[in-house]
Amino acid sequence: MKTKLTWKIWLLIIIIALSLLSIFITSSGIAFFQKGVLVTNIESNSIAFEQGLRQGQIITEIDGQEIISIEDFSRIIQEKFPSDESIKTIFKTKNSEIILFSKQAPEIIVSEIPKTNIKMGLDLAGGSRALVQAQDKKLSSTEINDLVDVISNRLNVYGIADMNVRPVSDLTGNHFMLIEIAGATPGDLEELISKQGKFEAKIGNETAFIGGEKDITSVCRNDATCAGIESCQKSEAGYFCNFRFVIYLSEEAANRHAEITGKLDINKNNSAYLSEKLDLYLDDSLVDSLFIGEGLKGRVTTQIQISGSGSGEAEDDAYNNAKESMHKLQTILITGSLPYKLEIVKLDTISPILGKQFIKSIFLAGLAALFAVSIIIFFRYKKFKSSIALLITSISEIIIILGIASFIEWNLDLPSIAGILATIGTGIDSQIIVLDEARQGKLLSIKQRMKRAFSIILGAYFTALVALLPLLWAGAGLLKGFAITTIIGITIGVLITRPAFTDMVRRIED
Amino acid sequence: MEQEENIEQSKFGRFHNKNYKLLLLIPILLLLFSLIYMGIFYYKNQDFIYKDVSLTGGTSVTIYEKVDIFDLELALSEKLEEINTREIYDLISKEQKAVIVETKTNGDKTKEILEEYLGYELINGKNSSFEITGSALSESFYKQLLIAILFAFIFMAIVVFIIFRTFIPSAAVIISAFADILMTLTLVNILGMKMSSAGIVAFLMLIGYSVDTDILLTTRILKRHEGSLNERIFKAFKTGVTMTLTSLLAVIFALIVVKSFSAILSQIFIILVIGLGFDLLNTWITNVSILKWYVKKKNEN
Repeated sequence: MKTKLTWKIWLLIIIIALSLLSIFITSSGIAFFQKGVLVTNIESNSIAFEQGLRQGQIITEIDGQEIISIEDFSRIIQEKFPSDESIKTIFKTKNSEIILFSKQAPEIIVSEIPKTNIKMGLDLAGGSRALVQAQDKKLSSTEINDLVDVISNRLNVYGIADMNVRPVSDLTGNHFMLIEIAGATPGDLEELISKQGKFEAKIGNETAFIGGEKDITSVCRNDATCAGIESCQKSEAGYFCNFRFVIYLSEEAANRHAEITGKLDINKNNSAYLSEKLDLYLDDSLVDSLFIGEGLKGRVTTQIQISGSGSGEAEDDAYNNAKESMHKLQTILITGSLPYKLEIVKLDTISPILGKQFIKSIFLAGLAALFAVSIIIFFRYKKFKSSIALLITSISEIIIILGIASFIEWNLDLPSIAGILATIGTGIDSQIIVLDEARQGKLLSIKQRMKRAFSIILGAYFTALVALLPLLWAGAGLLKGFAITTIIGITIGVLITRPAFTDMVRRIED
Repeated sequence: MEQEENIEQSKFGRFHNKNYKLLLLIPILLLLFSLIYMGIFYYKNQDFIYKDVSLTGGTSVTIYEKVDIFDLELALSEKLEEINTREIYDLISKEQKAVIVETKTNGDKTKEILEEYLGYELINGKNSSFEITGSALSESFYKQLLIAILFAFIFMAIVVFIIFRTFIPSAAVIISAFADILMTLTLVNILGMKMSSAGIVAFLMLIGYSVDTDILLTTRILKRHEGSLNERIFKAFKTGVTMTLTSLLAVIFALIVVKSFSAILSQIFIILVIGLGFDLLNTWITNVSILKWYVKKKNEN
């Protein structure tokens, strides 16, 4: 018996290894055995943030007590806070220690460390999803893309992290916006969507100008002479980068602005600025406060420079953060409020409680199905080695599909799971064809027999492939997951796993 | 090996040679019945299926509390339009985990009526979850899925023609696939199943599965030359039946596990079980008989 493995089998082994890496190597290393909780959200003007605690860090200890799960975290925090006087809390992360003094619990949100890169769709992980259309108006694809941009920026402004907004369209050319927010209730979602994005710039209690074309004639973007990141500096907690960009006001807005600033005094603490700030509000919540240069007092100017800053642990982070903030602000200023009302045409929520049981039950179903298949195969062929090879091939197909799904960050939803099941089914069918062809036509060489098996498998592959294509677009793509996982599955089947399986069979039969 | 050599002289071989055309009557009668049934069905319902709320538009509420569904359905059948209830229970302990209430009534009104009946507030995301689909969207959604199936079928047919490049054998594959779908659809309607969007996806899966065995059969008979016609058919039968039986058994096992849990997956699996059953008939009677007829005729000329 030859001991050398063929290149096809080696290819399969390498792809499986890569898939496992893609599944298990997360942004925080191999998280499978890691303890602690992950910081998913942190208020950017909180004490914890100032002290250097950042999104993405893993808290492993609080006050010397080990944190293994979220329960540990909330138990300790609830015991300590709120307290009457400022108390000390020591957070230990992977490579730093952060000490806080506060009365209130730190304003951070934590979650379990994701053990794998496999992303669960809403119907498995829990959350809300809405399919949105404009009321009484058919949106073009550019309009929908703008809308998606506006809404994503807006959701960012509201500090919602775990969300997915994307344009979808259906076969008849209707365009929709799909919003998915993990962990949100549909009430939250409805409220967010119903907000039209009112932007106001106020000085004191008076409105200087509002977002949209009427007051803001244009906003400088993508032009280095009037928009960009100015400078970056190192500070105690990391780096800061400043951005600035110019906006152009209509004459009416400029006059209003001059009238208000004319009434202001010079700032007592810093004579370069006026006494009041220019406060930017989005849907009545303050997003930024800008100093007004003293030179602007009472002057009619149609050109106003908006500035702000971003921060981060490293200079790159700070730079990107500043760029993001700038883009956000620019979008709000340009878009103003939406010119149309939005309407939710489909809304679903899944509680994550059900989601957890769901995954367990699907896993059970898969095991049961594989068990059933192996029994038939064993009785039919009475060959232990071939049956094991078949099982290994099927399991490796599942691993590779999950690996690719992790790599392209595909959210596995229920249709995707059905797709994986379908793939395994057709995969086993193909392997049975290989096994049977190997046993037949003994006059031919095993190589020729395998070639014959492949002509049938390719025929089946192409029919299945074309049958799935329409589903990529039908029904606003809500069933796209099925088509995607099945196409990935049958394609790797034909290119990688089934050729490797034929080589395994050749070795067993030889 | 011996068994394979004897197939030409065996009892079954002789029976099949004599009666294979007659056997075609079984699928033809079933197909006729299905066509007539679906014709009447369409005339009565102006549709091909019974649709559930994911396709008609309406509300689906999952309540994570213990609720007597018979009592609920009885009490609310007048207030909630086309009410339909289901239970979700734990596979092992058989304990009720949740109930699902589906209705064509809109979300807010459904919530109000249910709360009045239950006597407690339904907090979305806490003790319940709501799924609301607008009726206009559902209408277009449904139409598109039908178009998707139609295109899938046409594309499949084109590929089959490209593979075999002869009319009758290709047509035989397509007829078998069509018969699978139509017979499955008929049985699903006879059983009174309300179809969801996922159920329609199951039909797509069925196209893939049913064509697999037909391609195997046709390739083995047209492109291979060793052994007699009956031997080739018999060998293809052995391979094909193993394929379909493994799929069938796997689906049945999976169905047993998810039945109590996911209505969506159960529906996909039930449709697949029915479809695979009809596939056995259509591949090994419909397709085999047409092909055998074709090959014999060709050999005579």
